[in-house]
Amino acid sequence: MFLRNYKTVIFIVALLAIALILLSYNLKHETGTGLVKKIVLEVAAPVHKILSLSVKSVSDTWLRYIFLVGLEQDNRDLKKKINELKAEFILYQEGYLEAQRLKKLLSLRDNYDYNFISARVIGREPAALSRTIMINKGTAHGLKMGMPVIAPPGLVGRLTDVSWHSSKVLLFIDESSNIDVILQRTRTQGIIRGAGSRGCILKYISKTQDVREGEVIVSSGIGGVFPKGLLVGVISRVDRQDAGLFLKINITPFVDFSKLEEVLVLTAQEEEN
Amino acid sequence: MIYYLLLPFLSILLVVLQASIADILFSGRLILEISLIVVIYAGFRLDLIKGLTLAFILGFVYDCLAGSVLGLFTFIYMVIFLCSFFVSIRLSTEKLYFIALFSLICSFLEEILVILFYNLAYGLDIVKKTPLIFPLQAVLISLLAVLFFYLMRRTEGFLYGKAFQSTERARTGRLSAEA
Repeated sequence: MFLRNYKTVIFIVALLAIALILLSYNLKHETGTGLVKKIVLEVAAPVHKILSLSVKSVSDTWLRYIFLVGLEQDNRDLKKKINELKAEFILYQEGYLEAQRLKKLLSLRDNYDYNFISARVIGREPAALSRTIMINKGTAHGLKMGMPVIAPPGLVGRLTDVSWHSSKVLLFIDESSNIDVILQRTRTQGIIRGAGSRGCILKYISKTQDVREGEVIVSSGIGGVFPKGLLVGVISRVDRQDAGLFLKINITPFVDFSKLEEVLVLTAQEEEN
Repeated sequence: MIYYLLLPFLSILLVVLQASIADILFSGRLILEISLIVVIYAGFRLDLIKGLTLAFILGFVYDCLAGSVLGLFTFIYMVIFLCSFFVSIRLSTEKLYFIALFSLICSFLEEILVILFYNLAYGLDIVKKTPLIFPLQAVLISLLAVLFFYLMRRTEGFLYGKAFQSTERARTGRLSAEA
């Protein structure tokens, strides 16, 4: 009878007592993970996992597709940064290429016993009348008219006009240019004459001579303008024409004149200094 | 019976859900205690046996998952449930401002009990470390409680055609013995 009347009160007191006993017991004994707690954690783990996954996917969607505030500004900033980096990269690339060219120039310098003055190409003669280039060195740097000019891998031409701080180089492909040369293999002597865009023509080689395509031609040193042994070009075509005493030989220069950026001017032989 | 069978699972779901939401919104700085609001709601709406069981299980699950001392929130939730229950017998609990105020008081009560417990049991002064968290959390709970009660009222209206009344709890001050 008593239990029936006070069923609810007993229930309240019992639950409160359980909670308090649980609390005091755990406080005193530090039981760690009990069985019930383990079960709760086991059940909660998959729920937590599923919720985390769904929440993460929603949050990812929100951040990637909906919450795009500031993205345009970021995009602009990044594009600006890319352009800056591109400019910087081009600058470095240019520096690298220049270093490569200068390295080649230096290696050429080691091959000859001459004093050199390096110069930068500052202009090209656009007209077809003459094949010349302008360099940024002149008499102030010790240059004189007639000095030979080289660039990897060989001869370029000679100085024709020299001012204080710039000079004009007549390329040996100019039609007014004549250089005394020899064929490296047979040591046969001839004269190279410029032929403009077609390169050069080797003259005065007798038909009786053994001349082959691909043969290397070097300067002979005769005439005193160009030192002996400078690479000039390679025979690209040998024409044994019927009329005349000599062969008609076309030469392709070693140097690519369209890509000249730095050159060396041979000032004097080292022994002389 | 199904209520008692589902209660532990729903409690786990609720506690995990509130932890996940709080983690997203506040990055673990604040606790979004929807479980406390549910206990208050139970105090206003459910009968004593059902509500107290809910408070007990929810508190126990909260203890297990939140990492507090086992039994602490079980006890606190039951106390809050009983407070809500007795208040709902004496006062009208339909007004939203009353719900907000009562939730604020309950939240403060819970925080005071937690602070006192940690101070007495371990000698820790947790208010000193995070002085602003507790009032902020209490305000948050009171605002959320308003929203929760409003949504529940709408749901009840949708399910039952009109707001569900726990009028079985006659306002006589006597405890019902029904289970």
